[in-house]
This record gives sequence, structure tokens and C-alpha cells, in this order.
Amino acid sequence: MMKTIDGTKLDSQFKYDVAAWPGGENVTMCYSCGTCTAACPASDVNAEFNPRKIIRQVLLGMRAEVLSSPLLWECIQCYACTSQCPQNVKFRDVMRVLREMAVAEGFAPSEMIDQAKQLGTFTIEMRQKLIAQALAGGDACEKTKAKIEKVLE
Amino acid sequence: MIKAADDFKTGAVMVIGGGIGGIQAALDLADSGQKVYLLESSPAIGGVMARLDKTFPTNDCSMCILSPKLVEAARHLNIELLTYSDLLSVTGQAGRYRVRVKHKPRYVDADKCTGCGDCELACPVAVPNEYEENTCQRKAIYRPYAQGVPNIFTIEKAGEPPCQQACPASVPVQGYIALIQQGKYAEALAIVREKMVFPAVCGRVCVRFCEGVCTRNQIDSPVDIMHLKRFISDWELEHADEVEEAIEQPGVTREEKIAVIGAGPAGLQAAANLTRQGYAVTVFEALPAPGGMMRYGIPDYRLPKDQLDLEIDIIRKLGVDIRCGVKIGEDITLADLRKDYAGVLLAVGAHVGSKMGLDGEDDTAGVCDGVEFLRNLAHGQSMDIGEKVVVAGGGNAAIDAARTSVRLGKKVTVVYRRTRSEMPADDREVEEAIEEGVEFLFLANPTEILSTPLGGAKKITAVRCQRMKLGKPDESGRRRPVPIEGDTFELQADALIPAIGQKPELTWLGDELKTTRWGTLDVDEKTLATSMEGVFAGGDAVSGPASVIEAIAHGNHASENMHRYLRGQELLPPRESAIPIAYPDLTGRVEPEVQRVDVPMIDLQQRTSTFDEVETGYTAEDVAIEAQRCMQCGICSNCQECVRACKADAIDHSQVATYSDIDVGSIILCPGAELFSKQANFDLGGSRYADVITSMEFERILSASGPTGGHVVRPSDGKVPAKVAFLQCVGSRDISCHNGYCSSVCCMYAVKEAVIAHEHEKRVHPTIFFMDVRAYGKDFDKYCTRAQEEYGVRFERSRVYNIERDEQSGQLVLQYTDAKGQVARENFDMVVQSVGFTAPAELRHLANKLGVRCDEYGFVWTDPDFPLQTSREGIFAAGVAAGPKDIPETVVQSSAAACQAGRLLSEAAGTLTREPEYPPEMDLSAEAPRIGVFVCHCGINIGGVVDVPSVAEYSKSLPGVVHAEENLYTCSQDTQEHIRDVIIEKNLNRVVVASCTPRTHEALFRETLREAGLNPDLFAMTNIRDQCSWAHMNEPEAATAKAMDLLRMVAAKARLLKALHAEKMPVIQKALVIGGGASGMHAAMAIADRGYEVFLVEKEKELGGNLRQVRTGFDGQDYGRLLDECRERLGTFSQINVCTDTTVEEVGGFVGNFKTKLSNGQEIDHGVVVVATGAKAHQPTDYLASDPSVITQLDLHQKLADGETIAAEKPSRIVMIQCVGSRTDEHPWCSRLCCTRAVINAADVKKASPETDVVVLYRDIRTYGSQETHYQRARELGVNFIRFEADAPPVVKRDKAGLVVSITEGIIGQVVDIPADLVVLSTGVEPDVQANDALGKQLKVPVNDEGFFLEAHVKLRPVEFATDGIFLAGLAHSPKNAGESIAQALAAGSRACSILERTEIAAQGAIAECDPDACVACGLCEHLCPYNAITVESQRIGREDKTFAKVNPAICKGCGACVAACRSNALDLRGFTNQQILAEIMEL
Repeated sequence: MMKTIDGTKLDSQFKYDVAAWPGGENVTMCYSCGTCTAACPASDVNAEFNPRKIIRQVLLGMRAEVLSSPLLWECIQCYACTSQCPQNVKFRDVMRVLREMAVAEGFAPSEMIDQAKQLGTFTIEMRQKLIAQALAGGDACEKTKAKIEKVLE
Repeated sequence: MIKAADDFKTGAVMVIGGGIGGIQAALDLADSGQKVYLLESSPAIGGVMARLDKTFPTNDCSMCILSPKLVEAARHLNIELLTYSDLLSVTGQAGRYRVRVKHKPRYVDADKCTGCGDCELACPVAVPNEYEENTCQRKAIYRPYAQGVPNIFTIEKAGEPPCQQACPASVPVQGYIALIQQGKYAEALAIVREKMVFPAVCGRVCVRFCEGVCTRNQIDSPVDIMHLKRFISDWELEHADEVEEAIEQPGVTREEKIAVIGAGPAGLQAAANLTRQGYAVTVFEALPAPGGMMRYGIPDYRLPKDQLDLEIDIIRKLGVDIRCGVKIGEDITLADLRKDYAGVLLAVGAHVGSKMGLDGEDDTAGVCDGVEFLRNLAHGQSMDIGEKVVVAGGGNAAIDAARTSVRLGKKVTVVYRRTRSEMPADDREVEEAIEEGVEFLFLANPTEILSTPLGGAKKITAVRCQRMKLGKPDESGRRRPVPIEGDTFELQADALIPAIGQKPELTWLGDELKTTRWGTLDVDEKTLATSMEGVFAGGDAVSGPASVIEAIAHGNHASENMHRYLRGQELLPPRESAIPIAYPDLTGRVEPEVQRVDVPMIDLQQRTSTFDEVETGYTAEDVAIEAQRCMQCGICSNCQECVRACKADAIDHSQVATYSDIDVGSIILCPGAELFSKQANFDLGGSRYADVITSMEFERILSASGPTGGHVVRPSDGKVPAKVAFLQCVGSRDISCHNGYCSSVCCMYAVKEAVIAHEHEKRVHPTIFFMDVRAYGKDFDKYCTRAQEEYGVRFERSRVYNIERDEQSGQLVLQYTDAKGQVARENFDMVVQSVGFTAPAELRHLANKLGVRCDEYGFVWTDPDFPLQTSREGIFAAGVAAGPKDIPETVVQSSAAACQAGRLLSEAAGTLTREPEYPPEMDLSAEAPRIGVFVCHCGINIGGVVDVPSVAEYSKSLPGVVHAEENLYTCSQDTQEHIRDVIIEKNLNRVVVASCTPRTHEALFRETLREAGLNPDLFAMTNIRDQCSWAHMNEPEAATAKAMDLLRMVAAKARLLKALHAEKMPVIQKALVIGGGASGMHAAMAIADRGYEVFLVEKEKELGGNLRQVRTGFDGQDYGRLLDECRERLGTFSQINVCTDTTVEEVGGFVGNFKTKLSNGQEIDHGVVVVATGAKAHQPTDYLASDPSVITQLDLHQKLADGETIAAEKPSRIVMIQCVGSRTDEHPWCSRLCCTRAVINAADVKKASPETDVVVLYRDIRTYGSQETHYQRARELGVNFIRFEADAPPVVKRDKAGLVVSITEGIIGQVVDIPADLVVLSTGVEPDVQANDALGKQLKVPVNDEGFFLEAHVKLRPVEFATDGIFLAGLAHSPKNAGESIAQALAAGSRACSILERTEIAAQGAIAECDPDACVACGLCEHLCPYNAITVESQRIGREDKTFAKVNPAICKGCGACVAACRSNALDLRGFTNQQILAEIMEL
């Protein structure tokens, strides 16, 4: 038995909210041709991740389902979906908007937000250190360079 | 509305575009009194339709239904075809336009060309065939397609090829290469010699300006033009006897004698030219043998002298008198020459070597300049140059001296003051010299000759050289060598050969002529005339040392000017070409790299020890490859093969464009558009993979006349593709390529192509990848269902993302989202891109010239309020140029545009037209049958199965047959002319054609008989296509035998044919229009505007029909206002009799003579009927239709138009349900307008109240054409669209909370219960089946299964019934919007007027007749006749009253029902008599 969606629970404002973000403007233009999904390497690996379906859910107003879905974080931001979209929906940007909304509206899991924050802080610190070492010159600089080269290899 | 600025109007119309639209408009106008100019840019009319294989939904052969129209247009007395012509400008105003037209040169005389095609066979230049979508090639001389009208060939010239442009002598390089490709070496030499008499020399030593500019440089390396030329000269030497024999002496035809001084290339070229012009020419040469530097400067290893001798022999054979050993200044003087000769050419060359200016240069043994050195050797004089030779210089002469010395066994050093890259010598020569052991010392300059005394003189021992460096560039652009102070060295030398320059020997000249500071003759550079009257000069003597080809060019130029001087004409500067240089467009062209074929050389040992020619030249095999590398930049190569081939003398390469000014009253614009092409950004592998093709390429593959002969094979390997994918919306509904619109036709043509492909080849299994199936036209949905159910066509609702080629299988892998929403990869053998229409830049240019506006997509804008009117009054647009549409709509619009133009010019009708004149009919009553039989191949349609030659041969054996022949296309214009000629020539009195169906072609052949003075009924036709080649496709022998049987039968009938004479009946020039809606009113006014009386009958109390309900049109038309204006204007016509509240009770009569009884008791007589009875809206019973909150789309439209609040309480949700009463089992058709109405309403709701949620539940959104923008707009505004399947329609319920619509959302895979404050049903269009049936019976016109009226032919006769004089428009025909209905009404009006225009029409000859003596007056026939054409009545015959069955010839349709029923054998059908039919049967 198919689960029924209760229309009274749908949030018809959702699509306009998405469209209000930069990158989300054309989300309502979707005519469900499926090109984005066919293009999507994430879909290819995990059939649950379905760009066309996510857009459809946005259009129908399934705010909570979309923003709380772990699938939101599976997009690899590769632009394949966007490259051939005949209606210029820019699904890659829509995904970015949805993630921002998920965080802003508290749908994103807190541990993930923490992880992201940590990662961000760590990256900034690392940059600062690298710059400091580079400016210091001499041995430290050479050593760092060697390390980086090793990593790059 | 329609008015001209002035009283005077021109009764002529220019129709732009010769596709089906233009042809239809032209025919309509020409049939109603307007002179028509049909302008077509390409060489033939026919347009896109001529390239299609079949047409949907009837699967008729496109060419078969088009071809008669082409011929009709071409034969129409009042249509002037202006093919291969372009519009330049338009001046004037509506009613009086003046159009300037450019007629492009065909280079073929249209009056002389017979279309035989001999030229095409002879033409060596093959170029991509655009008619076949470049899938194969055509010649540079061509006609676009076999049935092309007019049947004239055209030469395509792109300009002068760069090689020919670059050649100083203008040698037609591309031309001789094209001939070499064909193995026509003698012809190749002939066209070379027209410009240049030394192919062997230039085939070896030319400096090749041509190769430097060769377009091939942009791909790999230039064509080895020189060695191709050498090959033919080698061939010539091998065939010297034949060649010399073939030389024709022009003979001396002029009095003036000419002297040429110097037998070098310039002198001999000029001598040859002047001899060919009829002058007596004497050449004086100082040296013992002719040839100049060619003999005395160029060593044997580069130019063997037997080749030169042959070329000079040929010149002598022409009649040139060459006298050697005569030195000017010694043996003869210039003054003598001027006395004896009318013209003198000084071409003495530059035989004096320049001095280095060193001490001892002249008197040291072992020092000898290069010119002298080579000349002495050429004389056979040996020279003592010791062992070590130093050559000074960097030009070709230096290299020649060096390599010659090597061959004499010397050790050679070349000293050059610059570096190798500055050397003027040919790089290849330098390379070869190095290979042969020559040493080069660069940046060194001899400054001193060191010598030792020898006898009384001295002998060289060494050369002191100064080292140099490069300084600033000098005036030649090369860096100037500067000595390095103090840096010198000595070089041991037994000989020093300075080769640093040459100049002419002019010591004999005295001061009669001036010289330049370089020691050359001073001439007028432009004309080569010297300061002395009648004396010209050329070659190295003028230019200083240059190349052979430049000397030849001087020879050409000087001789031309000498001729002009002697004829008293103005002297000319060097050749000025008016033709532009042809640079082929390489963008997007994939040209494979092909290596230049190396010229073989003899081995090094032989090279250094003998004077044998170094290069051995190409073999025939090499030449075949190398010649093919030519890119044919100029397209036509000017090889003159067509001129030789044309027996009719029709080729004229000198043609130029001509211009004309044409006065017309109106212009109809229907030039069509382009198909979206592969090179645009939506590519999907189209340009990468051979098996990804466009739909037009596939049309050609399907076509019997196409590149594969109708065999469905894929391009890469010619194999039958098992799986074929069609990709929809390529270049349509795609804002990324700026084509946001729907192209309207691709869905249906893809389904058709899929069906036909499967029909041709059962192994083909097509899949169509689509988003919405836009089968919105009449019977289109049924066609799609049949495609699925009967042909197994698979429909996959998905847009393909990518195509890759699987290298292993060679298949194409398509990546798309499958029905489950998952990424799918599926292999296909071939992919067809269903490309849409796109407005080409040329359309915009044309619109600019006409001063009409284009829409945002570049299609011509037309006024929604005033159908087909562009932004400029009196200029109308129709067909695809005004937006994407299919053939029937194009035909409708074209007729409608013709109607509008005809209305504008109604008072000028007939002022510029002519009436047809036929020769008097021959009386053949006393003659025995003389039958001519014409058997048609129909391309391969018949000929591919039936052995047509045998059938033709067989028919010669039949009694009465005096002539039989086969034709490739019996219906083509040239064959028609041919048949006419044969009838007259062979005195034929019966004609039989065995070809296709009489339905499409019989009228054409009968017309031909009339033109030949034969009664048109002395014609019989048998269908060996449908009956033989199509029915027995796989049994060619049986099909052939059957064709013979059919021919025997038809010949038996032909022997009994009699001339029939049709009665002529007057036309009542009045019309009855049934139905007073939009269509009826517009049809009535269209007819009344031409001055005819109209009866407009409406069953309601008020005019307006459905239009009264509709407030605005899809394009924003204010229908309320337009309806009011329409009714008001209608009232101003005194000749329109409006009968409201009236129905038609009884219709009798026939075309031209109808008699109708109306329900108001009125009886009216009229000549034509227009059926515009409309249709009604479906009244829904499902979806809780009776609920007060469930309304129809029309209700919503009215509420929105009235500004009403949509529901009592402010609705938060509106749900629209599509296809209510459409595409169901009861109503299987698509109602066409509901989708667009729904999206417009939805958008209007959103605009009025953005917070309202609007959901549209649909099956396919069918917003075709520009209506797609409404769909786009609705989505932009946030309208939601949810699709449902036919078997899972939405359910509307009412519960406590209100209305709920449940629908299965396929993408999410869940049922959604949508609460709705308002449910809007998109109800369909429904015919009034009963009323239509009843009217159909009265008019004797058919109604289809659904209850809509059935037109005569869905493609080409969309507004006519099969019954003459009855026309159809509006919803009675099929669902359509108001704008489309009005266009159809105008079209019906136009067609109706073409009958009303005439005062009388001829009935058909083939009708029933009764023998009163045999008739027993039983009355059975009277009862049976479906047309009420028979009455049994009494008539006085002779002296007695006789009661018998009387046939009304005007009503009788010749159906034969009466004949079959007659018990007493009194009735017979003319043209199909019992006797004739029995004769046919007896033959079987």
C-alpha cells in the first residue's frame, strides 16, 4: 500500500523560499524531464538520491521531508545536472540552497554541523600556519614545502 | 480594415518561398484573378516537403502528393516562377509595391536546358548534397532533386579558387585537378594550355604561388599541385604522337604580323597566344635553340630537355615561326622590325650575370658567373673548374650551379652572406643540395679572389671571405648582413661561381628605349607598353630575374595588350577578377588529414654522378590519391567538361546576375524556416558519432529516392539497426539554445518515422524518448496508439542526458532516467534527433528588407487581431516563417493569406491575368487506335521491383500500340513535354501511362493530352506501383508479370476509348455559409469582400457561436471587441444575407448550381457551400461535475475576465484536471486547446492572487508552437504540474473539510490528497454528431468516426470536401482555437472564391448515360442513385414520347451504381463502359 501524502500538511511557500535564495530562482521552471537525474553520478551510485524527485518534493511543499533528509548531503556538486538542463534550473545550486536552509532552519543533524564547523576552523588554522611558515622563510619553509610535495605525490 | 492608400492597385501578388505554402498561395491567387510571381531562392520549388518521405497520419508519399502541385504551379498560365532569385528591396505601399529582384546566374541557359543530365555525368566536382542532408554527394552542376521544378540544371560557383587567384597566369588549377581525378589527362592539359603553354616546365620548376595559398594548408599540407601537373606532362610525352596529331592550327586570319624577340617563356607564351588569335608571329632567338632560361638556365636534372622540346614543338605546330641564332642589334634591328611588323614584343630575358665587384673577377681563370656557367654546360661546352668549387649566392641559380658542380664530381661550398632562413632559393632544393654533399657557409661573403699566375694570366687558388652578422631589416624585409670587422678567412678554391643576380643584355638598345636603374627595360607597369609605339616588353627583361610562371604571365598580359593595341582597344592592367576568392568555410567541418604523397627520387649515387632527373614523378596511383586532396574551394572548377557534354549548348560560364523590378499589389511571405542543426550547442554526440543523425537525414534514409534507396541502414557500417532511438525536443522547448517554443511537428514526425522504419524493416525496433507526446491534431492520438499497438513503437518518457559510443559493440549508449526514476544506460544501434524549427538569420534579413517585424524567436510576427497580417500593410505571412507548424496548417494559412491578398486587390482582379489556350482538338473518330505507352520507374518506387524496361518492351507487342517507352518519372515536367512531343510526332490517338495512382496524377496526364490537341479522355492509366511494386515487394518476377498483365488489360481498354465532351454549366456566383460563428462570419466576409453574394445561416438567434463565450485569445486578442467589430462590419455588407434562427433543410444540386431550402422557408440558389457548423463543449458528468465548487475551464476564464473573485471564500488551492472528455474511450481525440487554456488560466489566477496554489493534473501538456511560452510562464509563476496515467485518473471527493483531489504522483511514487477550494475541469470539444450526420447526408459529404467532418485530404486539401464546391472550416473540422478557425475560414473563403471567380465550369465527361431504346423505365436506378442525379421521365424523342431514366450530367459523379443495377443494360458509364471493362477482363 502506497503511503498517502496529506495535502493539508504541504507547505506551498517552500518553493518560493527556495527560489528566493541566489541559485534557487528557477526551481519552479522544472518540467520533470529527468535530465538532471540521468546525469547525476550520485544517483548512479545511490538510486535513492534523485534530483528530479527532490525538485518535485520542493514544488509540492514537502519542506520537512526534504530539509531533514540525509540525501541532501549526498550531492557532490559536480554540475552535471546543471549542464544539460533545458530550463536552466541549476539543480546543483538548488542543492546548495537546500543545505543552507537545512542548517538555517535547524533540520541538519547537529553533529554534522559541529563536524563542519570543526573542519572549517581546522582549515583556517592550517592556512594561517602555512602562511606563517612561508613568511618565516628558511628551513621551516623548505620543510613545509617538502611536506606538501610529499602529500601531493 | 483592408484598404489601399490609393485607388489604383496592381492585380499581382509576389509570393516569397516556393515550398508547399508558397505554392498553395500562388495557386489560390492565380485561380482567382491575380497574376502571381513565385519567388524562390533555391534552384527549384518544393521546399521541405519535397525532402520528406511519407506524411502523417495517412502515410502518403510526400513527393507523390506534392509533385502534381509542383507541376500545376509550373504550368499555371498566371504563375511566373522566379527560381534561384532573391528579393533585394521593396518600395511603395499596400496595393502598389515595387519589388527589386536579383536573378542569380545559373550558368545554364534555362531556355536551352532540357534537364537531360549529361552535364551532371560529365562534371568532375562532387560536393555534399544538401538535399540529401549531406549524406551523399552531388555535382557542382546539379538540380536539387529529380522531380525538381523547373527541370533546369544550375552550376554552383563559390568564386575563384585561391590557387587560381594566386597563380600569376591564372591557370585553372582546381579545374585540371578535377579532370586529373577523372583520368581525363588530355582535357586537363588542354585547359592548362589555354592559360599557359609550358605545363611540363611548370610541372617541374614552378615557384608554386598556388601551393602557398592552398586551403589544404589549414588542415595538413598543400596539394602537390606542381607534381600533379608534371604527371600529365609526363603522360603527354608518352603520348606525344597522339597529342601532336590532335593539335589544331588556328591559321592566320589577320593581316598584322608580329615579331617576338626572345624565345623564352614570356616570348613563346605571347607568341602562342597571338597565333591562336590569328596573327602571323615570328620569334627571333639569339641562342641556338629556343627556350631561354628554361633551356640555358635550368639544369637537366631538374628539367630534362626532351620535355621542353615537346612543348616547343607543340607551339611550333600551332604555327609559331621560331628563328634561332638571330641576334637583335646584330642580325636585325629594332627599326627593321618596326617597319615589317605591326607589333613587337621584347622578351630578351636576363642572361647577364651580375658582378660581385671583386678585383680579378673578369680576368681570373676559374671565375665564371653562374648564368654563363650553366649556359656553357647547356651548350655542351666543358669547363675547367678544378676540384674545389665555391659558389657565391643564395638563390636558385646558386643552388643550380652548386648541384651541377656536384654532378661534375666537384667538392662544392656555397657561401652566402645571410643565414639559411633568408635564402631565396627553394627550400627543398637546398635540402637536396645538402643531401648531395654541397656544403654551405652562411654569414660569409667573398671579398677577395686569391690567385696564382698562369701563363700570361692568373688562376684562382682561394677566396677570402668576410664573416657577417645580421643587422636591421632592409627594404626587402630581410635582415641586412653586416661585416664583422676583422673576421675573415680563406677558402681553398679551384673555381668561384658568383650567382648573385642577373640582368638583361641591352647593349644593342642604344637610346631608342629607356631602361631602369636596375638595367631592365622601362615599361608602363600596367600595360607592358614601352615608350615606343607598338613595342611591348615582358619577362625577365622587364622584371629582372623572376620565375617562369611570372614570365608566362607577362607573356599573357603583353599579348593581350598587343592584340588590344592592334584592334584599337583600350589597354588593360594585369587581370582584374570580378569574381571573389572562394574560401571554403571550414568551421564545423571535419576534414580528415591526408598525407601529401611524396614524390619519388632516384638514389643519391645516381643523383650525384649523372644529370638524370632527380624526381621520377608520380605514378597514376599516387596521382589518384594526391588529386583527391583538393578541397574544391571554388565548387565549380571551370574545367569546361559540362560545356563539352551539353548537346543543347546550354552552358554559359559567363552568365552574370540580372535584376528586375516587379510591380505587385501585395506580398505573401512564406519562405519557411530552418531545421535546428547539429552544430548548435545541444549536441549529445551528434557531431561525434556517425550513427547519431537528424530526423531529416532519417527522412532521406527512409525515402526510396534517398541515399540508401529507402533501406533502413545506419551510416557507420550500412547495417540494419535493430534498436533505433528517437530523441524529442532537440532544439525545442529548450531555453539553453534560446528555442523556448515547441516546434509543433516533431512528435508526430518521429512517430511516423518510427512506424515507417519498422514497416520498411521489421528488425527495426524504435524507441521514442519524449517529455510530452504532442499529438494534438486530428487523428494524431489514434496514430500514436497504432504506432504502439501495431508497430511496437516504445514510448519512453525521459529526456536523454548523454550519448556515448561503446567501442566494443559499436553501439550508442544512451543515459536517461527510467520510469522508476533511476539512471539507466541502454544500448542503441542508431539515434535520430528529432530536430525542431529555428528561424534562420536569412529570415530576419528578408524581414528587414520587407520592413516587417520578427518576434522574439526571429519568426515573422503576425497580428493576432488580423490573421496573417505582418507589421506592414499588404504584406502577409504564412507557414513556418510565421512560427512552427505542420503541412496542413501551412496550407490553410497560405490559402488564408491568399484570401487576404485577394481581398485587398479584389478590384484589380483579372487585370493582369491570361486565359489558357489549347490547340483545337483533333477529330479522330475515323482513325484506328494508335496507342502510346509510357511506363514509369518512379525512381525506384516501381523500378526497384518491377522490371520496367521489359514491361515497356512487352507493351510494344500489344495490338494498337505504336510507341512504348520507360521514364524515370513519367510525371516530371520534362516527361510531360516529352509526351506532348511524342503524341504529335508519332500521331498518337490514345495514351496509356503505367505508373502510380490515377488519384494523384490522372489530371496531370489528361492536361498533357489537351495541350497536344487530344481529347483528355483518350487516356488510360494503370497503377503498377500500388498493385505491383508495393503489393509484391519481395517477388520482383511476379510483380513484373502482373505489371504486364495490367498493361495488356489497360491497352485493351484504350483501344475502345472514345473522346468525351463535358458539358459546361454556369456558376451561380453566390455562396451559402452554414454556421454563424467565428469561422462562418469570417468566411462570409472573405467571400463578400470579393463582391459575391453570401447567405449566412445560423441556427441560433445570434451570430458569434462559441466565440461569444471566449473573452480573450491565447495571444491576448480581445475577442469581445473583435466579435463586436466583426458583427458590425458584417452588417455593412449589403451582399451578405444573414439568416439567424435558421437551419438548412434540404440541399440539392451540385458545384456551381446548388439549390437549398432553409427552415425559414427561403429557397436559395448558390454555387458553393462553406460548412462552418462548429462544435460544442463537452458536458462533464464525472469528477463531481455537479458540485458547485467544480467548474469548467471556460467558467473560470469568464470569471477571471470579469474580474470575479474565484470562489466565495478566498481560495487557497485550485486543482485543474485536464483531458475531461478528451482522449477517453468515448472521446478518443485530443481537444487541442484545453492545455493552453488551462495554463493561461492558471497563470492568470497566479497573477491575480499569487498566494493561491494552483495544481494542474495532466497527461501530456500540449502547448504546441509558441503556446509553450504560456506553459513556461505558468511554471515561472509557481503553478504545479502533476502528471497522471490514463488508467489512474485523479479522484475528486468531498469530505467534511471540503473537496479533495487524490492523485498518484509518479515521480515521488505516492498518492497525494490535495485539498481543493475549487476544481476546474478542462472539458474537451465535442461535435454535434447528430447534426453533422444529418448535414453530411444532405450535402453528401463524409463525417468521421468521431462525428467531425472529413476533409478531402488531410495534408493538402484541409478545407475542402471531396465533393466539389463544398468547403469546411472551424470546429466542424476538428478542435482548434479561434485564431486557427478564422485562418481556416479565410482559407475556405479563398478556395470557394476560386470557383465563384469562374462564370462556368465544365462537368466531368465520365458520367452515366442511358439508352432510351433499351430502358424499361423500371426506376431502380433513380432509387439507387446516391447523388439524386437520375429521374425517370417522359421525353419526346423523334415522334414518340418515351419514358426513360434521364441522367443529370452536372450531378452525376460517375460512380456507376446505376449501371451495375440496370436490368435491361440500358445504362452505361462513359469512360468505363461495359464493353471496355469486359475487354479488360477478357485480356486477363
